[in-house]
Amino acid sequence: MARYLFFRLLDMVPTVFLVLTMVFIAMRILPGDPALVALGPNADGGQLEAFREKMGLNEPLGLQYVTFLGNAVRFDFGHSLMSDVPIGTLIANNLPHTIYLTIASVVLGLVMGIPFGVYAATQRNKLPDSALRIYSLIGYAIPDFYLAAVLLIVFSLNLGWFPINGEGSGFWDGLHHIFLPALTLAMLKSAFLGRLTRTSLLEVLGRDYVRTARAKGARESRVIYRHALRNAMLPLSTGIGISILATLSGSVAIELVFNRPGIGRLLINAIQERDYPVIQAGVMMFAFFVILVNLAMDIVYLIADPRIRMKS
Amino acid sequence: MTDARLSDFPVDDLISREALADERGLGDVVRQVIFGRISTQVAFFVVVVFIVVAILAPWIAPYDPVRQSILQINKHPSWDHWLGTDQFGRDVLSRMIHGSRNSLIFGLLSPVFAAFFGTILGVSAGYFGGIVDRLISRIVDMLMAFPELLLAILIAAALGGSFWNIVVVLTVAFTPGFARVARASTLAVKQEPYIEAAVAAGVSTPLIIFRHIVPNIAAPIVVLMTLWSASSIRIEATLSFLGIGTQPPNPSWGNIIRDGLSNMFATQWPIVAGGLAITIVVLAISILGDSVRDVLDPETAR
Amino acid sequence: MSEALLDIKDLTIEFGSGSQPLRVVDNISFAVSLGETVGIVGESGSGKSMTALSVLRLVPEAARVSGQIIFEGRDLLKLPKREMPAIRGKEIGMIFQEPMSSLNPLMTIGDQIDEAIRLHEDIPAPERRKRVLALLRLVGMPDPENRLSAYPDQFSGGMRQRVMAAIAMACNPKLLIADEPTTALDVTIQAQVLAMMLDIRARFNSSILLITHDLGVVAEICERVVVMYAGRILEDADARSLFSNARHPYTQGLLRSVPTLNDTRKRLYQIPGSVPPAGTIKAGCPFRPRCSVRMERCAVEMPPLRTYDPGHRVACWATAEAAA
Repeated sequence: MARYLFFRLLDMVPTVFLVLTMVFIAMRILPGDPALVALGPNADGGQLEAFREKMGLNEPLGLQYVTFLGNAVRFDFGHSLMSDVPIGTLIANNLPHTIYLTIASVVLGLVMGIPFGVYAATQRNKLPDSALRIYSLIGYAIPDFYLAAVLLIVFSLNLGWFPINGEGSGFWDGLHHIFLPALTLAMLKSAFLGRLTRTSLLEVLGRDYVRTARAKGARESRVIYRHALRNAMLPLSTGIGISILATLSGSVAIELVFNRPGIGRLLINAIQERDYPVIQAGVMMFAFFVILVNLAMDIVYLIADPRIRMKS
Repeated sequence: MTDARLSDFPVDDLISREALADERGLGDVVRQVIFGRISTQVAFFVVVVFIVVAILAPWIAPYDPVRQSILQINKHPSWDHWLGTDQFGRDVLSRMIHGSRNSLIFGLLSPVFAAFFGTILGVSAGYFGGIVDRLISRIVDMLMAFPELLLAILIAAALGGSFWNIVVVLTVAFTPGFARVARASTLAVKQEPYIEAAVAAGVSTPLIIFRHIVPNIAAPIVVLMTLWSASSIRIEATLSFLGIGTQPPNPSWGNIIRDGLSNMFATQWPIVAGGLAITIVVLAISILGDSVRDVLDPETAR
Repeated sequence: MSEALLDIKDLTIEFGSGSQPLRVVDNISFAVSLGETVGIVGESGSGKSMTALSVLRLVPEAARVSGQIIFEGRDLLKLPKREMPAIRGKEIGMIFQEPMSSLNPLMTIGDQIDEAIRLHEDIPAPERRKRVLALLRLVGMPDPENRLSAYPDQFSGGMRQRVMAAIAMACNPKLLIADEPTTALDVTIQAQVLAMMLDIRARFNSSILLITHDLGVVAEICERVVVMYAGRILEDADARSLFSNARHPYTQGLLRSVPTLNDTRKRLYQIPGSVPPAGTIKAGCPFRPRCSVRMERCAVEMPPLRTYDPGHRVACWATAEAAA
């Protein structure tokens, strides 16, 4: 197992390297002159030159690349062009909020989605099953930012039950503020996870070992929760991983709608202000997040499935 | 949230034998898809209506979608403005009608481009194997780890939003998925005796690929294309909403909602209209996509 | 015949609905006495597995089951659904055909056997552990102490079938149903599993209902044999008289197609044709198209089971005519 983990970590190195290289290429080569992009068309020659000097843009490309990699490995992202704040500080201020939102929405999504899926699977082709089908179809079609806007208009603007924006201070106030954003993401997640639960559970319920469990004299609830659902959790955990990843992209729009701090809003604001060191850092944060979640999913599989555990 | 579901698309399910050994003509398939179920007929009708509206936009839109008018700010719906006006006094219905062009064109263009490049990559990887396969698979796996929307945001962040940039963004975001399906299908088809026979008979490689492999992997590619049309429309909407897609003052459903949100205390009609349009179109296309899959590949129809 | 433990009467199992239901088991009746080992023999599609599953009411939900399955005086088909779990595993144990997929891959085999005990008996964990170990020894599992925490994937097919048997025997059931327990196994392992079943029977004095397509297996352990074909019983006799004096042309054909050690035939006998798909025979005897002694009457009317010697029933017009 330790050996497997070691190789799995080793396997991440080229991926991280590739991501960094792609970020470097995208930032240095694609948009033309970064100085011009950053300072805008009205900057004079002196300003541009000073900017290039400051950002090390006059160095040969190869050296820039090495410096870039070195800084990235040390998590040194430089300073924001707009506010001159160290980017590490910006991330430290924003990252926790994105993580809170991710955790809250995943937990809520699981709590809503899995029981719904189980119920639909046990009531196959009956009303709850059709309800789940429609719920998941709409959940698939409705854009997250639209759902967010609707919830905001109904519950904050018209009913006044929840604050319109911000992150709040303290635990309870924070919970009050995070509820609608988390609910938005959780509803979409539960549409996806509910459907996935239903499909995996139905698949597992047809397996021979489920028949064995029944033949032993296990009651239907035990058959479902102890035997079938545990086996269905394996494909489901991939789905949970995917929905955690989806929160990352979803959080960008949600943070914007509810005006919450977070990595997503940081990135979008940076894009609008052409604050390219921040863009670069935000892109890398997301990329590392993705790699990390994938790694975590592999580890969960490793722990949960004795078949994989034995082989590695 | 939404986009990532497709990265979990069950690739193996897409390439069951039934799908590979399909001998129905295109006409039969189209007929079966459209006249299959009531829900599909409705979905088809909805999609056709939206496409017609998009094509006829300049002729049927009552106002110029970008003309501002200080006298007509934040009007609620009326006979003159069916969906009211926004904070710049622009007619929301006209913006919606013109916006449908920007929104739909990406839904149709990007999946086609992505299918083209993805198929080339996937078939090369599957057919030639070896180092080609390892290189392509490695990059595809890496890109597949990212939800499409996130990938799109990251690329758009680097490129900036213009029409062709968004097409490029969406194409790059979708290509890995097509490549993976094409590769898996190619591997499956390659096992078939008729391919081995063709190789043994000395048929040239390009001929084998274009005459035998590509037609046989077309079904899963088409299924994926319809499903991703829906995704593509939604992602364009999201990018435009985030301000990195279609740039104002050009309307698209995404940036109509964006403008609406900053003005929600005054009027909420633009948000409702834009959101409903996206939801309805994406819903209709996904229902169509499900039917296409059911018809082309009854194995996975659940 | 001594008192029947299991008495199946007019059992019919149908799939599909409307005017053309698919009848996979057609009006069959037979009994299993206390301590008796009965084999149901038939080719695939004969309905023998469905019959076995119906006893525990484990047939797919889409199936419609009618008739009576009387176990210890109670009709299991009339029992409320929620009372079945108390009978499954406790009164009637079952071993399935597919040892590779019949065990839960995420549970240790110790837990899976333990569960079978815990579901029915309220005894403390250390006692249960002792019972699990005893069961594993009984089914011939080498080194059972070290196998408790192993997962099914670490076992071969034969070993898994032993685990299945341990689960089925966990509560000392009165009836053991074994559905093709040896089919998926290698020949040498088959012999071991059969020996294990003989051993189980000797120790527990359970009745056994053995479903198989293999006459060799039947000859080895069964006292009575029921021959099924296309959902019907064609012959029902004690093993000795069946093997020495088979009366139905189908059974005769089956016996002729079994190779023996002093075989002098150049080619093995083969019954011409193949089993008709379930539900395709609308009238008459289902074996008629392949039968060498068929008569006109066979096409019209299904012959009833008729008793010849005591305990030997045969459904065949030709046999009836020859006996008359």
